[in-house]
Amino acid sequence: MIGELDIDGVFVPSLLVAAMIAFCLTSLVRWSLRRLHFYRFVWHAGLFDVALFVVTLWVTAMATATWNTPGVN
Amino acid sequence: MSFRKLTFALANTAAVLAALYVAFARDLERPYWAMFTVFIVANPIVGAVRSKAVYRVLGTLAGASVALFLVPPLVNAPVLLCLATSLWVGVCLYLSLLDRTPRSYMFLLAGYTATIVGLAVVDSPEKIFDTTISRVEEISLGLICAAIAHSIIFPQSVTGELDRRIRATVITARQWLSGALMRPERPSDLQAQQQLAAVVTDLHMLYTHVAFEISDVPRSAQVMRLLQDRLALLLPRVSGIQKAVAALTVSGQVPEPLVRALEATSQWFRTDETTAPNCTCQCPKAARACQCHRVVPVELAATSADSLRTIPLDWRELLEQSALSNLRELIAAFADTQELARALANDQAKLPARFEQEAAALGRRPFYRDRGLALLSAFGAAGATLLACLLWIEGSWPEGAVAAQFAAIGCSLAATLDDPSKFIRSAIIGISLALPFAALYEFALLPRVDGFASLALVLSPALLLFSLMQASKRLGGAGLILAVAFSGGLALQSTYKADFAAFVNSNSAEIAGLLIAVVMSLVFRTIDPAWNAVRIARSGFKAVSRLATARKVDLRAWTIEMFDRLGLVTSRIGAIGKPISARENIDGLRDLRVGLNIGTIREVGGELGLASRSALQTVLKTVCSLYRSGPGNGRARAGIEAAIDQGITSLSAEAPSRPMLDGLAALTGLRLDLVPTGSQYAISHPL
Repeated sequence: MIGELDIDGVFVPSLLVAAMIAFCLTSLVRWSLRRLHFYRFVWHAGLFDVALFVVTLWVTAMATATWNTPGVN
Repeated sequence: MSFRKLTFALANTAAVLAALYVAFARDLERPYWAMFTVFIVANPIVGAVRSKAVYRVLGTLAGASVALFLVPPLVNAPVLLCLATSLWVGVCLYLSLLDRTPRSYMFLLAGYTATIVGLAVVDSPEKIFDTTISRVEEISLGLICAAIAHSIIFPQSVTGELDRRIRATVITARQWLSGALMRPERPSDLQAQQQLAAVVTDLHMLYTHVAFEISDVPRSAQVMRLLQDRLALLLPRVSGIQKAVAALTVSGQVPEPLVRALEATSQWFRTDETTAPNCTCQCPKAARACQCHRVVPVELAATSADSLRTIPLDWRELLEQSALSNLRELIAAFADTQELARALANDQAKLPARFEQEAAALGRRPFYRDRGLALLSAFGAAGATLLACLLWIEGSWPEGAVAAQFAAIGCSLAATLDDPSKFIRSAIIGISLALPFAALYEFALLPRVDGFASLALVLSPALLLFSLMQASKRLGGAGLILAVAFSGGLALQSTYKADFAAFVNSNSAEIAGLLIAVVMSLVFRTIDPAWNAVRIARSGFKAVSRLATARKVDLRAWTIEMFDRLGLVTSRIGAIGKPISARENIDGLRDLRVGLNIGTIREVGGELGLASRSALQTVLKTVCSLYRSGPGNGRARAGIEAAIDQGITSLSAEAPSRPMLDGLAALTGLRLDLVPTGSQYAISHPL
């Protein structure tokens, strides 16, 4: 099951926190890729963006896996 | 049915089903909130879906948090709670109306989400936190599904729409300009004004979506704004030429060089740049740096070179100079328009340096804001919510909360319209039409459904139909109302509990709430379009008067704001069908021309001698006081003639230079607009 983060008594799903971090990271990456005109080489930019987010989310979730409060499921 | 509409409908249906699936799988409280959220943000343009999604989630968060703060302390004082909620709705609506971009949706939603979350739980206040969470969860779920589906399944970026709009505008402007140059002003020009002004404002609104677009859409907001600036200049310049030529015709024949210049320019407008025969430059077609479209008609170049040598001496020569100077500006603005339109379509293109400098200096862009009307609408919405709440409390009406919610929603969503009650009435009709449909599903089809697959199969035809309706321009609004009413009426939940009494009760409360909204809109917002047009025009007078004497001005921002006003006024006058009485003296284009001339006068003032500078100051002060009381005021008009004539006389005494000639042209333009027709400038002393 997905763990939860205890923020001052409010339990927030850690996946939500990870998704927010991943969104910020993705926005940053998208912005830099656009500056580099990288999207000229992308066939389907919408699909690429979503895939990029999923990959970033996975990385973030892996990196923050240790944050889960033990004992809360 | 086009391929585009079909793919849009498929993507939308997929998004609705995905949202429902996740909501059922996670056992959320009200899956139908996620369902109609998808319909609400649905738009054929991906950027619009994503921007609305962002604004909706932010608005929902704000509104739900306010409910969370208001309800627990006030739950035992229902009247206070209702007052506070209504006030919040009003404040949010006011803020939303001041912001005319798509961002206004955020404020709108913050307002009525507070009623949806807050008023639904007054019977069981301990549930407020759960309701808040589930509202935010389900809205976000619907938004995410919609955003992903529309981004992945055959996305249509805003670029296509922008491109189409701009190209159509350039073509129409080209045709209209080539005709308008050769003839005097006529009443049908009002339509052209309205179209062009609407396009400039629309382009601005459309462009706000670009920031939210898929990553491969070029972001060039500055180019867009420069383009708007140039488009806004076309009309005042043409009408300035028309005015000057008309005045020349009154006192004799139009001078030959001017006629030749006008004919050549008109011809230049008629020839499309791609087929221009006189393009002699050897650059390959792909090179964006090609300057051949800037070939200014030869005749005009010759006349403007001459003009530096001769100082205009009498009124006719002044008129001729003024027409030529307007013509130069017109040609420059139109050439820039084409160049900027090309740059917008292709972000690889490097902008010429002069645009780069200008883009760096762009300030904030205001649009016309109507504080008075916004306040009135806010009162209407707050009043409607409060009225529904009072009926609910006093009448012990169990479903009264729903009525209050719908009163707030109805007033908020219709507030931007001139006649909100009409919109709300059509929403009522839409809901009444959707209800039997929802009832058919609820009581005949759903009892046989077991599991998500069969639910999806049963729902798909309706979802596809609504999505298809939303894809078309004409049926879009109706489709949205039907879809939302259908989703709300169905109120899908994870277990099937059909309750006919509850179905009828809550839906009749919805309609009652909207009826209250109609009444309040009729009370607060029954506005005569002619009166509204006069109000907007008068606020334009104030803007002119501020421009004349304010210490620091941004002429471009001012022009865009005036142009926006011009569009609002002309569209209302056009809708009435009969002209507003001449006493009001409404002419948005004249005010725009006066403003541009004031801008020139302020600009050249610093480069001239002391005597001219003080004469120009006097002119600015007189224009300011004239516009403070409205340009129709007879007494104020007498002073302006003397002031302008004094300005022309002292400028004529200067050595010939570009600022001096520009100043003379601007003064002539002002004189044409502000001094009663027929009077002519007479030289008061020999040079």
